[in-house]
Amino acid sequence: MIDFENVSKVYPNGTVALDGLNLHIDDGEFVFIVGASGAGKSTLMKLLLREEKVTSGSLRVDEFELSKLSNYKVPYYRRRLGVVFQDFRLFQNKSVAENVSFAMRAIGEPAKLIRRRVPAILNVVGLQDKAKNFPRELSGGEQQRVAMARALANNPGLIIADEPTGNLDPMLSLEIMNLLIRINKSKNKTVIVITHEKNLVDHFQQRVVTLNDGHIVDDRVGGMFG
Amino acid sequence: MRRYSLTYLIGQSFKGLWRNGVMSVASILVLLSCLIVMGTFGLIIYNLNDNLASLGDLNSITVFIDMEKTDEEIQSIGESISRLSNVKNVEYISKAEAFERQKAIYEEEYPYFFQGVDETIYPASYVITCDDNAHFEELRLELEKMKDQGVSKVRYLADAAETLESIKNGVIYIFTWFMAILFFVSLFVIINTIKLAVSYRKQEISIMRYVGATNWFIMLPFIFEGILIGIISSVSAFFIQMYLYGFIESSFLAEYNIRLVHILPFDNVKYIVLGAFLAIGIFTGIVGSSISLRKNLKA
Repeated sequence: MIDFENVSKVYPNGTVALDGLNLHIDDGEFVFIVGASGAGKSTLMKLLLREEKVTSGSLRVDEFELSKLSNYKVPYYRRRLGVVFQDFRLFQNKSVAENVSFAMRAIGEPAKLIRRRVPAILNVVGLQDKAKNFPRELSGGEQQRVAMARALANNPGLIIADEPTGNLDPMLSLEIMNLLIRINKSKNKTVIVITHEKNLVDHFQQRVVTLNDGHIVDDRVGGMFG
Repeated sequence: MRRYSLTYLIGQSFKGLWRNGVMSVASILVLLSCLIVMGTFGLIIYNLNDNLASLGDLNSITVFIDMEKTDEEIQSIGESISRLSNVKNVEYISKAEAFERQKAIYEEEYPYFFQGVDETIYPASYVITCDDNAHFEELRLELEKMKDQGVSKVRYLADAAETLESIKNGVIYIFTWFMAILFFVSLFVIINTIKLAVSYRKQEISIMRYVGATNWFIMLPFIFEGILIGIISSVSAFFIQMYLYGFIESSFLAEYNIRLVHILPFDNVKYIVLGAFLAIGIFTGIVGSSISLRKNLKA
């Protein structure tokens, strides 16, 4: 459950990125966040990742009140999230399996669990046969699927994807979005996709939240790109 | 409870050291050089202290008696000295004793020097120590006045003591400044090495952050890297120092016959030197990497 209550974010240079935002997302929902450049999408993501703190208002993700969360607790909060980036951010010198296991190792998971879990996650994203390949040997879509596998590695309740199809052609974009939908339905994960790709948003007919100048201007289930 | 893999963290720090090859070697060399300079100063002070102590009570005055004085006259002079104010102790050294002492020191090396001579070539003497060093000079002047009673020469080491003491203080002063400067130089180089390591692993660190790695988990490999630099530098510095010390002790001093200087065996202090090197090296490594991380690892 995610709750933005009257959330504002003003940067030190005076830019108002979000202004009194109210948004509620239930567990297991799939939500597209859309809007033009400068609408506040990236700030919303940064607040959810707790890269930035809200200036005023309250932002709650499950039991974590992010406006009051101490720096010390941020890593433990982030273990509930899986993040997918436009540029994949994979280690080119690590194999597919190593890229995924890295996420588990980084939070101190035991080697035994890592060995058991990594093949299962690669199976979810359809890369079980590419475990030993390196990212440079994969297509853009496959690389993004590795990034998604990494995001799933620690079994997060919430997946945040920032322009996940931004570097992919339309066919691969469709494939990635289908995978996100499948993860949302079969694993009951909350998925938030930040995107500006109209065709995809319109195609999938999910909940669409449209931002403009730091305000929500539209929020509807089965919506279209505003 | 989840336990972070220590082997993974240590492995990462070795990798980091390897990846930043040139900077790592530069850090090790700078820290190593600093430690050797520090060690050299430390050992100089250690030896100076020992040499000063081995000179005995430097505030003593030796009074030599005219060669032709009889035993009775010598004894009478001794009694007169004892009656002077500020005299703490008067030790009589006969001609025979003086001869034996000289033989003990020089006979092995210069045996010909003692051939055909006996104790008669040495004057008897009194070694006087004073109660209050502040009035040392007055006592010396009193003894000088006794030249008409049979005192041939008054020798004192106070000046030598002062000179040596001021040399020692000078060495300590320079040593302190050198230590401070070298410490900061080492720190600066280590900060830059770790900074490079952090920038090399920027993407890795950012992913670690997103998946929820704690700051300690992110920082520990870099701190270990700093510690490794410290350990490698200090152990290498120790062996180089040991070799240099041995070289000076065996070759240099023996060759130039600097008899006045007594060099203590390195074995006496080897554990202290190694311990001090490790302590300084590891401390510098930890402080250097921590400063670099504080500056470059902000969330």
